[in-house]
Amino acid sequence: MNKAKKRHPLVDAKKPNLLEDTYPYSLPPLIRFEGPVVEYIDGKAVEFDFGAVKDRNILITDTTFRDGQQARPPYTIDQMVHIYDLMSRLGGPNGVIRQTEFFLYTKNDRETLDRCRALGHKYPECTGWIRAIKGDFRLVKEAGLKETGMLTSCSDYHIFHKSKFRSRADCMDSYCEVVEAAFEAGVRPRCHLEDVTRADIDGFVLPFIERLMEMSSQVPDELSVKIRLCDTMGFGISYPGAELPRSIPKLIYKLNQECGVPSDRLEWHGHNDFHKVHTNAGTAWLYGCDVVNTTLFGFGERTGNPPLESAIFEYIALKGGLCGIETMAITELADYMRSIGLPIPENYPFVGRAFNTTRAGIHADGLRRDEQIYNIFDTEKLLARPPRVAITDKSGTDGVVHWINEFFGLKGENRINKIKIHKLARWVIDQYDEHDRLTAISDQELEAKVKELMPEYWEKYKGNHK
Amino acid sequence: MATVEERVKAITARVLKLDPDQIKSEDNFTADLGAESVQSIELVAMFEEEFGIEMEEDAALSVETVSKAVEYIAQVCKEQGVVTDDREQKTEDR
Repeated sequence: MNKAKKRHPLVDAKKPNLLEDTYPYSLPPLIRFEGPVVEYIDGKAVEFDFGAVKDRNILITDTTFRDGQQARPPYTIDQMVHIYDLMSRLGGPNGVIRQTEFFLYTKNDRETLDRCRALGHKYPECTGWIRAIKGDFRLVKEAGLKETGMLTSCSDYHIFHKSKFRSRADCMDSYCEVVEAAFEAGVRPRCHLEDVTRADIDGFVLPFIERLMEMSSQVPDELSVKIRLCDTMGFGISYPGAELPRSIPKLIYKLNQECGVPSDRLEWHGHNDFHKVHTNAGTAWLYGCDVVNTTLFGFGERTGNPPLESAIFEYIALKGGLCGIETMAITELADYMRSIGLPIPENYPFVGRAFNTTRAGIHADGLRRDEQIYNIFDTEKLLARPPRVAITDKSGTDGVVHWINEFFGLKGENRINKIKIHKLARWVIDQYDEHDRLTAISDQELEAKVKELMPEYWEKYKGNHK
Repeated sequence: MATVEERVKAITARVLKLDPDQIKSEDNFTADLGAESVQSIELVAMFEEEFGIEMEEDAALSVETVSKAVEYIAQVCKEQGVVTDDREQKTEDR
């Protein structure tokens, strides 16, 4: 055992310290920093002030209709218009969800875009997505869009093996021709640096960025190139000390501080192949990239993208307030997505049917005493989803009594106590002990049993719903 | 006429499926008589029904032994004006 180096005397207390500065309950837990972070870049110590994020204009963008749609059968136009409408409510009047991007190739693509814009929402702004082909700018112009994403893949896997360029120089020239065409068309290009976490950063990425910055200096500000860092295979790493090209801190620093790409023109686009997607997006924010690109419920190519709803809660946690965000729209979006066939796992954070449901009796006992003990924040206020208990043989009487009180909507002194639910608790136990049941008991089954075994309460609280 | 203790033991025997004669005053409901979580709730519910009283949940469930239950029930009956005098008790169900 290591020898102790510092003593930590007990700070006795008669009243609990619930750390409410960090855990306000009415908001998701806040992310607070106590000092700068140091990253060694090219042998030099570089300080990053994460606390500054509170005052920076960090934003979320969305690609539900582009990357999100590459992972599923196409949405109908009506579905996309409805999702766009809800997304606008979610992001609020300050445009926390600043942009969303659309394909432009088919008649349906263009009709969707027109109908979304006809809703008249200021945010999310509609942008396009095209191949890096000069002729595609005609589509962007015809659609009246000011900005479009375009593929500028930058790893040698893509440059040589996919796109079959003869050299990096040929590749860069080709990309720059398309950027030039965007300028000529009066459209702001957003260069998607596909596969950047597997690219030669010094040998290709930084020279390419420098050339883009030079080109941008020749055009008005509103046309200057934006850079999307695409972690196409989810290889990005957030840990300090990691090497390029996988290091997100170093990538962002190099583009932001060495090449001079302003933070508001840097965007992070991640993938979840190694379960790092949300943290990597948050890391990008902290190290100086203002924009993270997301999809609703993380649904995107293969393992998906940073979940938009998680980015929303991260945003609130970093900013310390809602900033106009209407979190309830997350639940509406999830309900809608389920209704059109998008599978959302039961335990999926914030929106899965069981995300704040406990099955353990001892946790149900905690919920009964004070829901804050086992609920991440006020999920009823922010998501219209009060904490729940799923009834199994592990739920105990505490689980049953929590379920009953939630079912009848009883709080505080009006809550029914455990003694009054003994018949229902016995029925639950017998399901497993006497009838060898192996599945959880559904809400519908419990509701029927409440009516049968607790008729006086049913009459009192549900009588008008008969 | 049955005493409070006899009535408590009779209910305990019925809920826990035991022979009333085997139940001793000093027995612990959980450790000695094997009451499980749901049976503890059932015991309190049956005591309430038997004596026509309302017991405070946490206090009732914290009672550990038969003798403490007798004591606690007698006290609640007194507080709630419920007569437990043997001569006035209905005993037809025992």
